[in-house]
Amino acid sequence: MAQIEIRDLGIDYRKPKSNEVFSAVDNVALSVEKGEFVTIVGSSGCGKSTLLMAVAGLVSLTRGSIQIDGKQINGPGPDRAVVFQEASLLPWRSVRGNVKFGLEMQRWNGGDLNERAMQMIRLVGLGRFSDYHPHQLSGGMRQRVNIARALAVDPQVLLMDEPFGALDAQTREIMGTELLRIWERDKKTALFVTHDIDEAIFLADKIVVMGRNPGHIKEVIKVNLPRPRNEAILDSEDFHELRKRLRAHLAEDMSSMQLVQEVA
Amino acid sequence: MIAELFYRRQALVLGTLSMIGIVVFWQIAVDTGFINPFFISTPSQVAAEFITQFEDGSVATNVAATLYCFAWSLGLATVVGIILGMLAGWFADVESALEPFIWFKYSAPTVAFYPLFVAWLGYGTPTIIAIAFLFALTPIYANTLSGIKNTDRDLARAARSFGARPLDIFLRVALPGSVPVMMAGLRLGVGRALTGVVVAELFGANAGLGYAITYYGQLMQTTKMMVSIVIVIVLGVLLTQILSFLETRTDSWRVDSNR
Repeated sequence: MAQIEIRDLGIDYRKPKSNEVFSAVDNVALSVEKGEFVTIVGSSGCGKSTLLMAVAGLVSLTRGSIQIDGKQINGPGPDRAVVFQEASLLPWRSVRGNVKFGLEMQRWNGGDLNERAMQMIRLVGLGRFSDYHPHQLSGGMRQRVNIARALAVDPQVLLMDEPFGALDAQTREIMGTELLRIWERDKKTALFVTHDIDEAIFLADKIVVMGRNPGHIKEVIKVNLPRPRNEAILDSEDFHELRKRLRAHLAEDMSSMQLVQEVA
Repeated sequence: MIAELFYRRQALVLGTLSMIGIVVFWQIAVDTGFINPFFISTPSQVAAEFITQFEDGSVATNVAATLYCFAWSLGLATVVGIILGMLAGWFADVESALEPFIWFKYSAPTVAFYPLFVAWLGYGTPTIIAIAFLFALTPIYANTLSGIKNTDRDLARAARSFGARPLDIFLRVALPGSVPVMMAGLRLGVGRALTGVVVAELFGANAGLGYAITYYGQLMQTTKMMVSIVIVIVLGVLLTQILSFLETRTDSWRVDSNR
């Protein structure tokens, strides 16, 4: 059985100060196998982050179900960890303190917290910076801390919500390669939300393309590029082919949005 | 870095110079007969009188009396303000319930309640502490409230994603995140507590700087009165500076770059 099983998922929001209901995600079904790296891509407002937050247990479901290893999820759990976009590090804690934070919240009892935290900090390449505070780090380094914090709790599933969205293009590319290097170690099941087409292809075993109004899955694309991967595949024929296909999807979304604006 | 340091020093230098300027002008204005010393005394007379009062122990008595009331009122205001502020910041219902009192406090002059306190607590120390307590309470309460209430939602969400319970979020996210704002409230509270003590002493006390100010004021002994006024100013600056220092210590993580 698949590790993540999403069936008939629907998430509605009530607009503030009105009774109007707005559907963020509807009719979503998705299976993710153990060890699979799945990217979710789509233009803004397609409900991709909402979907991820629902898997994290941070958003309640209106319809349908999400199962992890055959168990219905009910709020956040130690089987999942989230890497957020930015600014989710405690500014008054050092790098080590931040990596320990997730362990503390989970009442981790798998040995010494400091030891475990340092191991993860070294894994993401910040060994020298364990006593630094977030404001002393660059955006890329902060996201390394974020990743270390999530990996420290040893989750079954790693959930990433546009973790490199706020970084410049070059840092983003480096971080993508770094993420794959770390991921190759134990190949945890990963769900990665992005709006960047290249990033979506580069990381994925499987790309989920989402469309809007309401958020739904348009297509699931298998990526058969060989691993381990490096920047060289960005220029490969297969990569170009995938890029073209994803572009077409997103362009369709943009034109439908323009249509809506014209009608409005 | 160096330029910044220079500018900071420059501000200090300019500030000191203008202070000295005023004192010199004050002395000269009186010496030349431009102003009658009866109204304002002179710096040299005040300095001489300070030494006299210092030697006969009245400076120590008055400062001790004022600081005693100050410490009690600030201590009470800190405990009560922080506890109420934390409750109101965390539970919206508590905030709504306390809100009318805060409006009340902001709009009504606290000193107006002085006779009431005298009726309840009698003349002297307890009444002075009560008035100064009310003076200091508001900023400490209001800052604690806003610190807890404005807890960073992203941080709280990240904590929840790791299975944090509400108490964890309060203790590990909301509270440490509020410390700098609470310190700012405390700094304001220090100034107001001192003001409260001195104002209450003006009305009725048998020792203290405020008492000395009215006592000599009523006797028209301007020089003796000025001594206590200067001490109050110096105390106020000193105490506020100590708190500002503590504030920057706890605030260090909030700056964007290394200074």
